[in-house]
Amino acid sequence: MRIEKCYFCSAPVYPGHGMMFVRNDCKVFRFCRSKCHKNFKKKRNPRKTRWTKAFRKSAGKELTLDNSLEFEKRRNIPVKYNRELWSKTMEAMKKVEAIKNKRQARFIMNRLKSGKELEKAAAISEVKKNIHLIRAPHAGQAKQLEDKMVQKLAEDVEMDE
Amino acid sequence: MALYNFKKIMVVPTAKDFIDITLSKTQRKTPTVIHKHYQIHRIRHFYMRKVKFTQQNYHDRLSQILTDFPKLDDVHPFYADLMNVLYDKDHFKLALGQINIAKNLIDNVAKDYVRLMKYGDSLYRCKQLKRAALGRMCTILKRQKQSLEYLEQVRQHLSRLPTIDPNTRTLLLCGYPNVGKSSFINKVTRADVEVQPYAFTTKSLFVGHMDYKYLRWQVVDTPGILDHPLEERNTIEMQAITALAHLRAAVLYVMDVSEQCGHALSQQLELFNNIRPLFANKPLIVMANKCDVRKISELSEENQKIFADLIAEGITVIETSSLTDEGVMQVKAEACDRLLAHRVDTKMKTKKVHDVLNRLHLAVPTKRDQKERPPFIPEGALLRRKAVEMDAPKRKLERDLEVELGDDYTLNLQKYWDLMNPEEKQDKIPEVWEGHNIADYIDPEIMKRLEDLEREEELREKAGEYDSEEESEDEEMQEIRQLASQIREKRKLKILTSKEKDTQGPRMPRTAKKVERATLEKEMADLGLDMTDKDDSHYALRSRSLVRKRKREVSVPPMSRTRSQSTSRPPRDQSGVRDAKMLKKVKTMMKSSQKEMNRQGKKGESDRHVFDVKPKHLLAGKRKSGSTSRR
Repeated sequence: MRIEKCYFCSAPVYPGHGMMFVRNDCKVFRFCRSKCHKNFKKKRNPRKTRWTKAFRKSAGKELTLDNSLEFEKRRNIPVKYNRELWSKTMEAMKKVEAIKNKRQARFIMNRLKSGKELEKAAAISEVKKNIHLIRAPHAGQAKQLEDKMVQKLAEDVEMDE
Repeated sequence: MALYNFKKIMVVPTAKDFIDITLSKTQRKTPTVIHKHYQIHRIRHFYMRKVKFTQQNYHDRLSQILTDFPKLDDVHPFYADLMNVLYDKDHFKLALGQINIAKNLIDNVAKDYVRLMKYGDSLYRCKQLKRAALGRMCTILKRQKQSLEYLEQVRQHLSRLPTIDPNTRTLLLCGYPNVGKSSFINKVTRADVEVQPYAFTTKSLFVGHMDYKYLRWQVVDTPGILDHPLEERNTIEMQAITALAHLRAAVLYVMDVSEQCGHALSQQLELFNNIRPLFANKPLIVMANKCDVRKISELSEENQKIFADLIAEGITVIETSSLTDEGVMQVKAEACDRLLAHRVDTKMKTKKVHDVLNRLHLAVPTKRDQKERPPFIPEGALLRRKAVEMDAPKRKLERDLEVELGDDYTLNLQKYWDLMNPEEKQDKIPEVWEGHNIADYIDPEIMKRLEDLEREEELREKAGEYDSEEESEDEEMQEIRQLASQIREKRKLKILTSKEKDTQGPRMPRTAKKVERATLEKEMADLGLDMTDKDDSHYALRSRSLVRKRKREVSVPPMSRTRSQSTSRPPRDQSGVRDAKMLKKVKTMMKSSQKEMNRQGKKGESDRHVFDVKPKHLLAGKRKSGSTSRR
């Protein structure tokens, strides 16, 4: 029993779910749900359909080349059961999974970092251009003038004294 | 081979049908319209054509019948004899002869009448001649009624005869009626011959096919033969005799040991001796059938002696039973082998064999030294062979286990697995964890790779890749952000209010609506201005007297005589005009835009009336030398 990958969106297909299509050239296509199946029938390219994993990987939005991703690979040579190997593999799997998640998250964060800079610049330019919507040009000027005058008076008084 | 054509003989119609067919064909296929004023040669030709056509048709069909039916001299003597037995050779030949004669007669009739037609001088005479000719032909055919009927029946029966190939390997079954010949053929081949307790159930020859040593064999079942001289035999028995006489086959003489057929063994032996001459040159086997009822050893002394005698003469006697299948395979094998050997012998005696023998050569490698090289059989194979012979199963089968445990039995194939540690055989192997297939991760080197990965991860952590970025933003930036968000909010609100305005109604100028003092002060306060204490500002509401006293600006002196409301409003040609220079320019612009219209005598911009849509001087007249770019 295996959990397969959907051909279109690369989602996991659990047993008892989805559809399988076998073409005349003996190539097998598995789909997780009818959405993917219908898209396939419409001959859409998963690498161009924005919501699929294939697009995300090919457009560089997700981590593609990494050592932690090389652990999960379909090998066509079966290995005989060996309790020790299996238990070790299970532990290794958990660790690898943790590292993989960390690295994937880091990758995405890095990608989104540059957005922060743009945000900053946008805020600055926004304020520069449209400050007049929230602040009148001489908003604090009256008070400033008053303060200045008060200060001047105080100085005069001081000088007098 | 004449075999196949028996099914392809054309249907022989009855005399009446024959005549009808031919005459209607003549009527349809030849021209029918003729008048007596036509030229005489045309009339003669017309009727001659009809006569000839009818004659041609009869001739063709009768010839076809004659060629389709097999010539008894040309077919295999087996078939010739069989047909003689079934249909009487003489009768057959006579019938065909009569048909031939009829054909010739018809030809002659036609010839004569065509000759006479040449002397016919009127339509009526020619017509009568034609009528006579056709009538005579038909009468000739009517006389053949009996022959045609007989031939039709022969044809039908002939097409249903079993296709027995006289030259191939055949086994022939013969014996008294009811001894078990048809049961035997049913057992050995796929034939389905009727088996019944009464005598003469099988009334004609039946063929079945079987395979032995990768070859096809025919098995022929015959009707039973009774013991009387050849002359007294009826048709059914004669068929069996014919088959015996002509087919080069292995003969299986079937005897009923239990005497259930109604004839004693001595009678059967008598018959055997009588038809002995027919078995010359054929491999012979005697089948002692129905041995499940009574065996030879249970017989009386004299009967046993019969069989002993037969064996002494060198004839193979095999005990069989069609019911229990005892000895059936043995008989088959024995008969087939003997027949094959016999055939090979006869072939060797003929000259044709030498052609083949000359081409055969058995190549044997020459010995290069005197070393003995016997075939090598491994010990395990020898032991296994011995074990098979001893016939005792050494190991306990699953089936035995199942029987032992009864209801508790579950098929546990895991115990046959070939693992490094046998105690792990009954483990439940995990296949899936959290959406991942464990089989995808299985790799003998996984621990090493994991170590490398962890090391790499440590290095990365040390390098600071995973440190979360602090929010290193100063107060200023925060303030800017806050202002920016406020600006965005304000903008959105403005857009919303602008969307809510009434676009369908009249567009009133901004000054039409009065602005409330409170809203104005609130708005300005939101923008940060100090709006307290503004009672004496210009926008605050005042008493009427103050309103009346307003500052007067220097007004423009009236341009026209009337001092009405129009004085407060400047005339149209001056509204929006700043000064005299602009006024002058405006006037010239106005005039110049009207120039073209005036020249064309138009009343205004919208006057599109054309006085002369098609001027004659442009559209009439010949094209002389001149440009054709316009008309």
